[in-house]
Amino acid sequence: MKVSINVNPRKNPYLPVEAEGILPANFVSGSPEIMVWEGNKERHLSDLATITVEGEVSEAADITLALSGETALFKRVGEYMEEGTITVEGDIGMHCGNFMSGGLIEILGNAGGWLGREMKGGSILCHGDAGVYCGSGYRGEKHGMRGGKIEILGNAGDFCAEALSGGEVIVRGSCGDMAGVEMQDGKLIIYGDCSRACGNMTGGVATIFGSVSGMLPTFRNEGEVVVDGHTLIQFTGDVANRGKGTLRVAAYTCL
Amino acid sequence: MSEIVKDALCPFCGCLCDDIVLEVEDNHIISVNNACTLGEHKFLESGGERALKGPMRREGSGWKPISYEEAIEETAEILLAADRPLLYGWSGTYTEAQGAGIMLAEDLGAIVDSTTSVCHGPSILAIQEVGHPGCTLGQVKNRADVVIYWGSNPQEGHPRHLSRYTTYCDGYFLDNAAHDRTVIVVDVRKSATATLADHFIQIKPGGDYAVLSAMRAILAGREDVIPSKVAGVTREELIKIVNICKNARFGSLFFGVGLTMSQGKYKNVRNAIEFVDDLNRSTKFTLTPMRGHYNVYGFNEVCTWMTGYPYAVDLSRGIAFYNPGETTAVDVLARKECDACLVIASDPGAHFPSASVGHLAEIPTVLIDPVPNLTTPLCRLQIPVAVTGVDVGGTAYRMDGVPLSMKKVIDRGYPTDEELINAIRKRVEEVKGI
Repeated sequence: MKVSINVNPRKNPYLPVEAEGILPANFVSGSPEIMVWEGNKERHLSDLATITVEGEVSEAADITLALSGETALFKRVGEYMEEGTITVEGDIGMHCGNFMSGGLIEILGNAGGWLGREMKGGSILCHGDAGVYCGSGYRGEKHGMRGGKIEILGNAGDFCAEALSGGEVIVRGSCGDMAGVEMQDGKLIIYGDCSRACGNMTGGVATIFGSVSGMLPTFRNEGEVVVDGHTLIQFTGDVANRGKGTLRVAAYTCL
Repeated sequence: MSEIVKDALCPFCGCLCDDIVLEVEDNHIISVNNACTLGEHKFLESGGERALKGPMRREGSGWKPISYEEAIEETAEILLAADRPLLYGWSGTYTEAQGAGIMLAEDLGAIVDSTTSVCHGPSILAIQEVGHPGCTLGQVKNRADVVIYWGSNPQEGHPRHLSRYTTYCDGYFLDNAAHDRTVIVVDVRKSATATLADHFIQIKPGGDYAVLSAMRAILAGREDVIPSKVAGVTREELIKIVNICKNARFGSLFFGVGLTMSQGKYKNVRNAIEFVDDLNRSTKFTLTPMRGHYNVYGFNEVCTWMTGYPYAVDLSRGIAFYNPGETTAVDVLARKECDACLVIASDPGAHFPSASVGHLAEIPTVLIDPVPNLTTPLCRLQIPVAVTGVDVGGTAYRMDGVPLSMKKVIDRGYPTDEELINAIRKRVEEVKGI
């Protein structure tokens, strides 16, 4: 079954919309009444978007939600998603795929901050850039993403994969500051550059095929390794935290 | 005939000095003793002729005086018409008014945020991750033989901090503080405080995190990993400072916005907390943020009691949601999300980035403040109120979390923040039928 949700232009295009109801599981029964919050007003999703349902199914896994139109400020889409597929034609707002444990979210544009926050399983593929805290934890949370896979074809913002505790985060472009900070487990792969990677890391493997600026002084140089045909310098750390993580970088500069 | 008021509290910085002597004559403060220059000016300026006589509304290119009733009615109308109102400020008023403000935010479904988000918000984020090894300033005064000021310049920002609690203040266990206390200043430039320090560590801008990590590694016995220089500081210098800290009987680290607002923000503070935590394995060490406004700490307390979160709380869905970066005033304004703003007891016009200030000027903004400030040109309506610690008493929290009762010194007849907010809230509740 395919559900098309085309968000119409709104009177105030800057108002964020909290739309955690946009989940494949909510459409198993056909065309449900989904409520969203536009600022401090609760509204029917159907008042903001044109919804078209094609076909019938009994399982959420067979549902594809296709979002299009003015979706850039729609937050929490796919929160707690367990199965099914969400495709976003344009940009998506913050907290897309929060806590998701299964299914696929594909974003053709850019994603806001906290993409795949505390994700446990499933996949997110973002063709554009991701905002800050991609695959991270909530404020004060000890663990970020624990499982699944996030792939960003563009760049990611600051604090990408903060407190990563499992799963895989792949950034084809560059990351901002402090990628992989507090990382405990899992894999972080950055094909571009970033700054001050993996501060306070205790475990996991971060591989950076580009250059790290402001390289932290608390990583022990273990020599060169070859990864996918690239010669990288391997470090262990963060020794400030008695950490045993692995950080591989192609090049680095210190402050 | 003048009257002397003793032990008044200064409504300026987070030191919340409680030994101010004021001379009052004909309902005017005519002299201030014991306060620093900043405190003295606060008493004489906001308690003096600069205070507005009554509310004023922008009309064309000028201002028209209006009554308090009209101002309350118009403020309620503006806030009720908004889909995402923001109530910002709160640090320059007393906790009772802050509590009324949070109830107003709940009635409106508003975002409520304080100046915390542009000063020590990152400190709170770090504390939420790894806790707060803190103590009162009395403990510091009586016990600390090593004091570190990191990214903080109290000589200019908190002028009496050194004389009341650290460098120049003898304590129960320190007979000759100026001699017995070791003062270390870490900063990117040689500040006024650095000139008084026993040791000054000058680091490159943005190097705080790396230096703190290096110090933690040295403390863990891993100086072999540390390169010869970290952010402009030699390894030997870092080892010397770590040894001073390790050998302290009682150490205190004070940090300011130099740490919280430089690159990495709350991760810098987290690293500082973990450094202090590591030091506590061999000695007693504490950490205290140098809070700016005299009652910014109070807002964090009140907001936590009432909503579960210390600042930047979005109540738009009737439940509290907290996520600095998403629900903080600067970000909400820069993204043009909010469509009305009530500013109270702060001056975002002077401190916010231009994108945020620009949006503040575009939307209906109401300012509650006794005197015209840099937010006045951005607002539609300004309502003067009683100055806390001058015209009205109330509770305020010092930078170390100690609540103190502020004194009422004179009475110029202004309504208090609490009365005004409650009047707006009453009107909002009437219209909404709640």
